[in-house]
Amino acid sequence: MRYVLLTVMFLLSLILPGTVFHFWAWSGIKPDLLMLLTIYMAMHRRLRASVLWGLGAGLLEDLYLGRYIGMYTLTLAVVAYLSYWLAERWYRDNFLLTTFMVFIVTVAGQVVVAFLSLGAGLHWSLGDIGQLVIGVALYNAILVPVTYPLIHRSFLHGWLRYRPRYER
Amino acid sequence: MVGKRVNVTGIAVLVFFLLLGVLISIRLTGLGSNFPNPIGGTLQRVLSPIEKLILQMGNGIRDNTKVLWDFRGVQIENEALQKKVDQLTGDNLKLKEQVLAGMRYTALDQGQFRSPSLEKFDKIGASVINRNPTTWYRTLTLNRGSNDGVAANDPVIGALGLVGKIVSVSSNTSEVLMILDGEGQVSALVRGSTGDGTFGIVQGTYKRGSRLTPEGNLQMLFRREDNVNAGDLVFTSGDGGVYPKDVPIGKVKEIQLDPSGLLKTAYIEPLVDFDSLEEAYIVKTVGGK
Repeated sequence: MRYVLLTVMFLLSLILPGTVFHFWAWSGIKPDLLMLLTIYMAMHRRLRASVLWGLGAGLLEDLYLGRYIGMYTLTLAVVAYLSYWLAERWYRDNFLLTTFMVFIVTVAGQVVVAFLSLGAGLHWSLGDIGQLVIGVALYNAILVPVTYPLIHRSFLHGWLRYRPRYER
Repeated sequence: MVGKRVNVTGIAVLVFFLLLGVLISIRLTGLGSNFPNPIGGTLQRVLSPIEKLILQMGNGIRDNTKVLWDFRGVQIENEALQKKVDQLTGDNLKLKEQVLAGMRYTALDQGQFRSPSLEKFDKIGASVINRNPTTWYRTLTLNRGSNDGVAANDPVIGALGLVGKIVSVSSNTSEVLMILDGEGQVSALVRGSTGDGTFGIVQGTYKRGSRLTPEGNLQMLFRREDNVNAGDLVFTSGDGGVYPKDVPIGKVKEIQLDPSGLLKTAYIEPLVDFDSLEEAYIVKTVGGK
C-alpha cells in the first residue's frame, strides 16, 4: 500500500502543477510539488533512501519533461540531502519550523535549477531568477500547513510508515 | 577515538565531475534535440488523459464562476468592452478595416484569419491537455503526436495568431514552446499604417510582473530611425525556416527609447490569449507536405 500511495503522490506531483495550479498560479509562479514531496520524504527516511528517491524522482521528471536530462535529477538529490541534513538538526514535529525549512530548501533547490539553466545556455536576469526562486519557495511553504500534518501522521502511523522486514 | 577523516579533495573532484556530467547531459538533451525517450513518452501517454480531464474541468469551473470570484474584473472588462465597441463603431473602424484588408487580414475581428502561405500545408486541430509543471518554461502539451504526423519544429497557431512551435513529440502528445518563452524567437515583420515593412526578431521575455500581461510579453528591438508606431501589427516574416509567412503575432503596444538613444524597444501585445488557450492547430511544415 505504501508503494502505491507513493506512486500516486509522485504522479500527482507531476500532473497537478501543470493543471490545477495553472488556475492558482500567481503571475505564472506555481509550486514545485515534486520538490515538496522530496523534502517530506527526506524528513522521514534515511539519507541513502532519501537521496535515491531524489535521484529517481528527478530523473523521471526530467524524462517526463523530455529535455535537459539531469537538471531535476541533480536538483532533487541535492534537495533530499539538504532536507535530511536539516531534519536531523531541527525538530520535525514543529510545523512552523518545517514551513521555514521547506522555504529554505526550496530556495536552495530553485537556485540549483537556475544555476543549471544558466549552464544550459538559458538567459535569465538576476531579478527574474530572484522573483522565481522566492515565488516558488513561498508557494511551497504556504502548502506546508495544508499538506504536512497529514503526510507526517501517515509517515509515523499510517500507510506511509516504513515497516522493517520482520514486522511485515 | 579518532574521528572520520574527510577527503576534501576527493569530494571536490567528485562534485566537479558530477556537475560537468550533468551540464553535458543538459546541453545534449536541450531544446531541439531528438533523443530516444521511451520512459518519458510512456509517462506522457499514461498521464495525458488525466491531465486533459483536469484541465477541461478547471477551464469549465473558471469560465462558469469567473463572475463570482472576479466580479470587479468582469465589471472592468465589461466597461472596457463597451468602450471598445463605441470605439470600433466609429470612423476609425473603416480605416482599420481598409488597412487590414490590404494585409489579407480582414477576418481578424471574426476570430479567424487566412494566410496564403498556410494554405499549402496540412493542418491538424489539437487540444491543450497540460501546461508546463515547472515555473521556468512556457510550454503547452497538445493531444497530438507523431502518430498524427506531428514533428518537432512544426508551428502551432491559435484562432487569432501564432502560439509557438513543437519542441518535442511523443506518439500521442507534443510539447509546444510558446513564443512568450525567452527561448523562442520569431523572425517578424512590422507593418505600419502605410503598409511599409520593418524586419526584426520578436522575442518572448516571460518576466513576472511584466507591464503588459501577468503571463509575460513580447518585445522587438529597432533602430531609432525605424518607422514603428504603437498600434502597428506584427506578422511572421517567413525567414528562418520554421514559421510560415504572414501569420499574425501581435500588436505594438508601447515603444521605449534605449538609454543610449540608438535603439528602441517595441513591446508587443500578443493576439493570442495564452492563459486561456484551449485549442490550437499544428501546421505540418516539417513532416507534412
